Amino acid sequence: MKILVVEDEEALRQVIVQSLKKERYVVECASTFREASDKINEYDYDCIVLDIMLPGGSGLTLLGELKALRKKSGVIIVSAKDSIDDKVAGLDLGADDYLTKPFHLTELNARVKSVIRRKQQNGEQHLSLANITIYPDRHAVTINGEALSVNRKEFDILYYFISNPNRLISKATLAESVWGDYIDQADSFDFIYSQVKNLRKKLKSAGAIPEIKAVYGFGYKMTCED
Amino acid sequence: MKLIRHTLRSLFVPVLVIFTVWGWVFYLMVLHEVEDETDDTLENYKEIIIRSALADSTMLEDHVDIMSRYYIREVAGEEAKPDKDEFFDSTVYIEIEKEYEPVRVLRTYFMTADNRFYELTIAISTLEKEDMIETTVWSMLVLYILLIGCVLLVIHLGFRRSLKPLYTLLDRLKNFQVGKTNAPLVNPTRIDEFKILNEAVEESFHRSSDLYNRQKQFVENAAHELQTPLAICLNKLELMSENPDCTEAQLQEMAELHRTLSDIIRLNKTLLLLTRIENNQFPDTREINLNQLVRHMTEDFSEIYESKALDLQIREEGTLLCTMNESLASTLVANLLKNAYVHNYEGGSIEISITATGLVIANTDSDKPLDVSLLFSRFARQSKHHESTGLGLAIVKSIADLYSIRIDYRYESGMHKFMLFFQK
Repeated sequence: MKILVVEDEEALRQVIVQSLKKERYVVECASTFREASDKINEYDYDCIVLDIMLPGGSGLTLLGELKALRKKSGVIIVSAKDSIDDKVAGLDLGADDYLTKPFHLTELNARVKSVIRRKQQNGEQHLSLANITIYPDRHAVTINGEALSVNRKEFDILYYFISNPNRLISKATLAESVWGDYIDQADSFDFIYSQVKNLRKKLKSAGAIPEIKAVYGFGYKMTCED
Repeated sequence: MKLIRHTLRSLFVPVLVIFTVWGWVFYLMVLHEVEDETDDTLENYKEIIIRSALADSTMLEDHVDIMSRYYIREVAGEEAKPDKDEFFDSTVYIEIEKEYEPVRVLRTYFMTADNRFYELTIAISTLEKEDMIETTVWSMLVLYILLIGCVLLVIHLGFRRSLKPLYTLLDRLKNFQVGKTNAPLVNPTRIDEFKILNEAVEESFHRSSDLYNRQKQFVENAAHELQTPLAICLNKLELMSENPDCTEAQLQEMAELHRTLSDIIRLNKTLLLLTRIENNQFPDTREINLNQLVRHMTEDFSEIYESKALDLQIREEGTLLCTMNESLASTLVANLLKNAYVHNYEGGSIEISITATGLVIANTDSDKPLDVSLLFSRFARQSKHHESTGLGLAIVKSIADLYSIRIDYRYESGMHKFMLFFQK
């Protein structure tokens, strides 16, 4: 899988690249409009992480270019501008997702994975980790092919873990990804704790190989020792 | 009290006093003039009688008719006081009418050619005088009231006319809202004072608008500019925490840092949201069914509510529809629901009632009633809950303001009640 990161802020570009490389993607980057435009014209990417405000032009123009070239790359816009107009304009121009800075790396990971998954046209779209398979479109989970019943929140949490195997996920990130921006209270951490505990119990009794481990003080990690 | 009433009242008292004194003086003058006239008549009469009496001694006897009467009596020389006219008021009994009537009397003395002294007493009825005074007093009274009425009316009209620019300015002051577009002031006047006032008001409005806009711009820019550095910090920290060499103690420190950083990010996002609401950057609106929204959101929150063993009750008495931005509607409801959760105690309850015109969210709390004046201001936390940003209700307020939704707070039987009234 090949990913292009278009971001002018060097430090941010570096961490994004580093994080994506951990997922074993081939990652390239561009820091200006020109550079990005050249790369888009020359190569094919599975996913492009695109900043809107770039030296030399707008990311939205690049999006138009991409469409004109009939490239099949998935595009995730990352912007400091959290305005609905930009979001709508970006999505109208064919972007697949929109993330507002600052975002969690695990969130970007999940989005990238989801975009790539959606671009694959073959068969039912699913995400697997060892013997766990989840079907995001119908909110279903199977372990060793057997259905596991989970509630909506548990599904969201599991989906997040599966998207970020072996990555450390903070409680705050988890709470945010599952609840959206509305929950910003430390109280919700207790809730996350109990949900994860339930989920862990369910996975274990169903014989799932991956395991959710608590990382003291920080959050959780789904490890898969096979 | 209105200025015009105050002015009229303060003018009314002096006008009343002056007019009363003036009326009294006028009355006295008229009275005096009438008496003078009567006395003159009496004197004339006297001249005529004496002259005719001197010429014709048969005239030296009493004469009585209705209008005038005179009595001539011979007196001793020493008793007579020639050249001394004595005027006085008296009454006379009139047999025909069988009653006393007021008269003006002149008593004088004269000497005939044969050196005999006579006392002449002339009395004329003053009935006419009484009538005249009465008429005068009545017409004066009517004129007096009319005059006062006219004076007040003229003052009133003049006041209204000359102070019209003042009222235009007052209207302007009342309707001016910082941060909203205000129509330019149209207040033509030739009066210097009002011209100065116009300029001063416009100048100060302009200054405060300018200040407000710059401040808003600053907050927005600052929040924007912070986004990227915050993203770098957060993401670097996240990468760092995944480093397998990290010790548990380091991880814990990082977790602390991560949480604080997340708080800053949230605060920043909230500030941006606030400025964006105030800048009206949520133009897309559609009809939102608040009932559905509340039901949907409470469902989302249900597990969280359960973790605090909160009892949630929703009473729907009507369908509440409002044309607004979808994401703002969600933010509005979510913030109120969150508020009801955060400031609640374990095992407390939340009551939501929806009618066709309003939404009420009430929650139990051991705290006292909140200070309404601080309730919707930014960062004015009134509780011990350190987790809240202190901006939740400020957001609720600015969304409510944007859509002219009236918001009210009440503390009733141990419950905080937040009430939203939607305009139909």
